[in-house]
Amino acid sequence: MSSESARANAAAEARFRIDDANWRQRVVKVMALDRRSEPFVRRLAQGQWGGATFFTASAFAPAAPSNADGQFSLASWLSDLAGRTKDLLDELHTADLVAMVAMAGENVQQVAAVIGEACKATHVTTIGFVLGSAAASPEALSTTLGQLRPWTLMLLIAASEEAIAETLAALRA
Amino acid sequence: MLRREQNDLLTQTGPNTPGGRLYRRYWLPALLVEELPNSECAPVRVKLLSERLLAFRDTHGRYGLIDEFCAHRGVSLWFGRNEEGGLRCPYHGWKYDYTGQCVEVPSEPEESGFCSKIKLKSYPLVERGGVLWTYMGPPDKRPPLPEWEFATVPREQSFTSKRLQECNWLQAMEGGIDSSHVSFLHRGELSSDPLFKGAKGNQYNLRDTKPVFEVAESPGGLYVGARRHTEDGNYYWRITQWVMPSFTMIPPRGDHPVHGHFWIPIDDENCWAWSFDYHAMRPLTGSEVAAMRDGKGIHVRYVPGTFRPMANKDNDYLIDREAQRAGRTYSGVAGIAMQDASLQESMGPIVDRAKENLVSTDNGIIMARHRLLRAIKDLIDKDATPPGVDTGHQRVRSASVVLEPSQAFVDAATDALNVRPGVAHSTV
Repeated sequence: MSSESARANAAAEARFRIDDANWRQRVVKVMALDRRSEPFVRRLAQGQWGGATFFTASAFAPAAPSNADGQFSLASWLSDLAGRTKDLLDELHTADLVAMVAMAGENVQQVAAVIGEACKATHVTTIGFVLGSAAASPEALSTTLGQLRPWTLMLLIAASEEAIAETLAALRA
Repeated sequence: MLRREQNDLLTQTGPNTPGGRLYRRYWLPALLVEELPNSECAPVRVKLLSERLLAFRDTHGRYGLIDEFCAHRGVSLWFGRNEEGGLRCPYHGWKYDYTGQCVEVPSEPEESGFCSKIKLKSYPLVERGGVLWTYMGPPDKRPPLPEWEFATVPREQSFTSKRLQECNWLQAMEGGIDSSHVSFLHRGELSSDPLFKGAKGNQYNLRDTKPVFEVAESPGGLYVGARRHTEDGNYYWRITQWVMPSFTMIPPRGDHPVHGHFWIPIDDENCWAWSFDYHAMRPLTGSEVAAMRDGKGIHVRYVPGTFRPMANKDNDYLIDREAQRAGRTYSGVAGIAMQDASLQESMGPIVDRAKENLVSTDNGIIMARHRLLRAIKDLIDKDATPPGVDTGHQRVRSASVVLEPSQAFVDAATDALNVRPGVAHSTV
């Protein structure tokens, strides 16, 4: 008589696996951190996505945005790809995952820190993608990675734009 | 998550499948050298990439890997007589040499030359580092012999075993690049296994169960870096090497031998898990080899006379719920290899990846699939040589290092990630 595992592992048993969806759509916010990564995020946004929306924080970096009183404000930190200003915290309240995209060699310290701190405060997972590593010096790449590292649970040094798209698709974005 | 057609591309490796064409561009481990210990020894059935083959060693010590079945009426040559420079079918006496060439058909006049028109499919079989390697692809694309460090160090510095794993190669291989499971599934063994315990790095593994990952492409595959905090504000990095299509090297622990795997498809529902251990600087000690033979570390004990693990699905992997409750093992299954294999086999012969829900720590797996799919496409569309074929891609090492937070592991550990003859692995 075969064991329970032997029976359960058989290919024939696969047809009895429950066929209901075991997931709900994740909400993924993809954010370009610098001007050079923005065109890529725009191209990425052309794809078929279930729960991904795309933003740029590059217009405000590296200078910190402020409100009418000259105080630092998260309300004017982000833009969507149509150029509309978005409140970072509002976006994070509905997010499951934030993907930060930076070009190797760009200074993203401040913008990564602001988004990273906000994600930390709102308990949103963050991942980072670094593009253009082949064209950047090791020092420049190190600098960008070092700026993202404190704020990301996973960093991908992407050899191609396709790698980022595949990663987001695999994460059901 | 993978679409069904992507999953099929990656998991099917039979003849004329895209994934099979990819695998057929590499030298693959086929047998342990001790499986064919001497001239005219018994032939061995081999199934690789869904092809039934037979390995034998002729009177002159030459290795052959040929179609298992006689060209006459399809008898298995496993019953053959290994004699006088060839393998003779016991049914009607047809005889084949180590290249598969028929050299005798007793019923036909010798002058007829009939036998010269009969040749079984065959593949080269070459010994290196205690392993018999084969290449099953187009002859004109045959690369130089493999140069994995474990196979090129003196024999007394390495130990290799293989075990049957009863699931598709990809779900087995993906476990090899998934560092985040170690702190859970194998946590008991970090303190108890003689081939793991005692390393400083183990403390970081056990203390910080939420590693942060960085993944970068290497020339032959991927570097998968997992970092954990040290007590002094630095990062403990464990950098796994994955080289296409299925070589994985686990980061070292202390002065223990370094280990890794090849995951080689037998067919689409079974694979060989090849497991190697080696030390770049010294012979393995008697106690290390004894532990490996006893199924410690990444090796297993076998059902006698086979390469099937003693703990297998037919005995529910000898699961011990009391050991699980008491914390001696995390899953109740003993041994690192079978802890992995039991879970991977439980997914079913070929897991449906359309239903999985990956998270950011699975990025090594995501990128490995991406590189494999890209290589298959480039091979089919442009006949491009896939990464990992170049022997330069094979001269790599895994590493465990402590780095300052500002350092990128790929740059800071460049030397550590390549073979340096006469220099030890970078390890913590």
